Amino acid sequence: MLRGSGAEDGLKNMLKKILKQLALKKLLKKKNKQEQPLGQGQELSRDFEKNVELFKKILGKNRDFVQYEFVFGTHEKIRAALFYFEGLVYREYINEFILKPLMFQSHHFSSGELRRGKSIAHLRERLISIGGTEVVSKVDDILNNCLCGDTILLVDGYAEALALNTKGWKTRGVEEPKTEALVRGAREGFTESIGINMALLRRRIRHFEFTIEEMQIGAKTRTKVCIAYLKGVVNTGVLEEVRKRLGRIKTDAILESGYLEQFIEDAPFSIFPTVANSERPDTVAAKILEGRVAIITDGTPMVLTVPALFASSFQSPEDYYSRPYYASLIRWIRYICFFITVSAPAVYVALTTYHQELIPTPLLITMAAASEGTPFPALVEVLLMGVIFEILREAGIRLPRPIGTTISIVGALVIGESAVSAGLIGAHMVIVVSLTAISSFVIPAQTDAATILRFILIFAAGFMGAFGIFIVFLGLLVHLSSLRSFGVPYFAPFAPVNLPALQDTMVRVPFWMQLTRPKMLSRNRQRTEPGLMPGPEQKPSQQKQSN
Amino acid sequence: MKLEAGKIANTQLFFLALGMLLGSSMILNPAQSIGRDGWLAVLAGMVEGFFFLGVMVTLAGRFKGQTLVQMNETIFGSLLGKIVSLVYLAYFWHLGSIVLRDFGDFYLAIVYPETPLVVIILLLALLCASAVRNGLEVLGRCSVFLVPIAVFFIIFDSLLLIEKIELSNLLPVLDVPWKDLLKVSHGVATFPFGEAVIFLMVMAFSNNQRQVRKTMFGAMFTAGVLLSWLAARNTGVLGSIVCIQAYPSFPVIRYINLGEIFTRLEIVVAAVLLSLGFIKITVFYYGTVLGLAQLMRLRSYLPLVLPVGAMMVFLGACVFQSNVENINFSFNIYPYYSLPFEIGLPLLSLLVAVIRGVPKPNQGEQSDHRNNGPNRPKPGKVANSKTENGKRGANTG
Repeated sequence: MLRGSGAEDGLKNMLKKILKQLALKKLLKKKNKQEQPLGQGQELSRDFEKNVELFKKILGKNRDFVQYEFVFGTHEKIRAALFYFEGLVYREYINEFILKPLMFQSHHFSSGELRRGKSIAHLRERLISIGGTEVVSKVDDILNNCLCGDTILLVDGYAEALALNTKGWKTRGVEEPKTEALVRGAREGFTESIGINMALLRRRIRHFEFTIEEMQIGAKTRTKVCIAYLKGVVNTGVLEEVRKRLGRIKTDAILESGYLEQFIEDAPFSIFPTVANSERPDTVAAKILEGRVAIITDGTPMVLTVPALFASSFQSPEDYYSRPYYASLIRWIRYICFFITVSAPAVYVALTTYHQELIPTPLLITMAAASEGTPFPALVEVLLMGVIFEILREAGIRLPRPIGTTISIVGALVIGESAVSAGLIGAHMVIVVSLTAISSFVIPAQTDAATILRFILIFAAGFMGAFGIFIVFLGLLVHLSSLRSFGVPYFAPFAPVNLPALQDTMVRVPFWMQLTRPKMLSRNRQRTEPGLMPGPEQKPSQQKQSN
Repeated sequence: MKLEAGKIANTQLFFLALGMLLGSSMILNPAQSIGRDGWLAVLAGMVEGFFFLGVMVTLAGRFKGQTLVQMNETIFGSLLGKIVSLVYLAYFWHLGSIVLRDFGDFYLAIVYPETPLVVIILLLALLCASAVRNGLEVLGRCSVFLVPIAVFFIIFDSLLLIEKIELSNLLPVLDVPWKDLLKVSHGVATFPFGEAVIFLMVMAFSNNQRQVRKTMFGAMFTAGVLLSWLAARNTGVLGSIVCIQAYPSFPVIRYINLGEIFTRLEIVVAAVLLSLGFIKITVFYYGTVLGLAQLMRLRSYLPLVLPVGAMMVFLGACVFQSNVENINFSFNIYPYYSLPFEIGLPLLSLLVAVIRGVPKPNQGEQSDHRNNGPNRPKPGKVANSKTENGKRGANTG
């Protein structure tokens, strides 16, 4: 995006200046006025009472904050306290593996032994039977761990605390993904819990090079974000770029991966998404295996993958599960559908307004007869129906399911028969609109872009006919070939043309022919051994010998 | 000075050159005025074009990695070189405007008789401006996408027309005065083949300088064969009336009739032509903008894109009174008007370079390494190019 972004740069500079002058000053002033939050940057003290008091002050007002003080069984002088948030922890873990050993088994040790160590760590080595514990001494860290679902153990006489992993809360189970349904293929989908999502991926790629790095983004939400990639296959430049862009984000809240997407995408002003997302672990695993980087966000089943290519929007995991002929055919149908959903209404407008000679004469006559009584020009008709369709779609998505059927009945009436019989639109218009609508659902990844493009093209066709459509398409081509996603040309196998990569875009060749990974994604090319074409044994003589 | 940070592969150069050469000559083929021998005139013109191209490629090979503007300064010295470059740039600008006008006239004549010319030209120029802004790399990518499709359509159309071609329309061969044939073939040599002179601004950015010669000759040969085939096809279908058609390819397409359903496919062909024209206009537009920026030693050519575009639209809108004047200019005046730019100046440059012995051998090697040429980077510029590189690296990840 070095070149061709002069206007964007200008805009950005201006925005930056304005922000600096207005918002930042105010923010800075406010920050100075604000008091330092309690406990920030503080260390624990040796005084048990003081520590307990501090946490009471910070978190004590919360209804779900639990503070439990106790003594070590027979050693009555050793006092201890547990802090945790109800609902974030498994109570059974705390009872069974923390309280029970500390209260009932501590008599195996003398109190001197229990207090001897300078570090609290020796307690966990002897008494606590929970995996995933951490010694923390900073108040910030303790709060952070506690808010993540750890249980904090404070013991009298130590300036340290133990963060014990007792995380456990109600999650939605692994269900069939709602957005990307398949006939053949795995039925598992990601869930809102990042742990389950990581496991779903790990179960598919059981290789030690498969790495999942964790980071926290969002000053207030402290959302866990994981970067998953296959070491040795991933393009290190891309990986570095992902880390850098994620690390740069300074914001309050990351509630969904869409928040991240808007912070890390390459072309924020483009209508095309340069970051892909998926709800299916098998899709994401396949992308990781191709050399891409996945970004898993806690709290959402949508996992981001980069670099994204325009061509990947036309791929479905089922292409790879079914046999190649049908998969290739379906791919072409998807390309055609994209073309239809983007341009069908515009072509209709251009044909009926400017280029009637292109319509076969018999059809032209019926069309003329059908639109005889309609009052509007084609452009208005198309816009009207386009907007009505978008309204119906939006209503269909947002409505509670029991009312959903109403929409389909009303929609069918509005879009279909009655609009025609009322003389509002021509009958052919209905076909065009419904075809456009159906086609738009074939390429879910590009639906947003396609909808916007459709309206642009309708206007272009209304004002300049076919010439307008061509101009928009050529401009689109220029725009698409100028886009990059994390350094990889977005329109890649098409422009710049990459012939080997076309084996997985124009057609889908069988796996034993797809020997390499796409060049633009990974430098580690070899994927499949050559010469694996299946078939009956070629050399009967050798077989005899082995027998 | 690194105005253009991108490099293009030779495949991209090939299709860029092919698209440029086919560009407007698909709609306005100078060979058509001679009728049935047009296809021979194209081939003869191609041979003359090879001579032009030979001079250009030799010149470019002598100054590897340098654009026309940079090499002019080395050859003619700072002041004279700038003047020569300015003359070239004026020609590029003029030619770009003429091509814009060609397409404006074309669309006006065939589909939009009531639309103001300037609207069509303006839209087209805006499209080209967006491509120029994105730089040569993007243009190269677009050409590899567009030109093969266009060539496919040319061949596909011809296959659909095959039953309509009467070979007897092409007979007798060479039954014209030699003088006329030579005149027309010279016309073809200057338009479109000689126009490859614009690639003196582009060849410098090829990532494989050794193959440039082959690539350019290949592109010109392919374009020559295709144009010759088109001339033969048009004459074969239309017969002798091909001479009086303004845009012969167009009425020919009307003959296509596929089961009474696919008729009147002109608009599809117009789309294909537009994509080629887009490449041609953009190449000239780009050459002008880049050349001007190099001439004025700007750090970026982006500020020049819109002003130059506006000038092209202006010139394109008022350069001819009418379509007829346009055709008259292209066929009768242009073959002589363009001579100094297409062969005269390049040949002169080459001669002067040989006599003056520039670039000096050691400098030549240096320029090979740096792709910067003897136009040695001054300290300030080094810093510039570094930051440019750094920026680029960060962006490409």
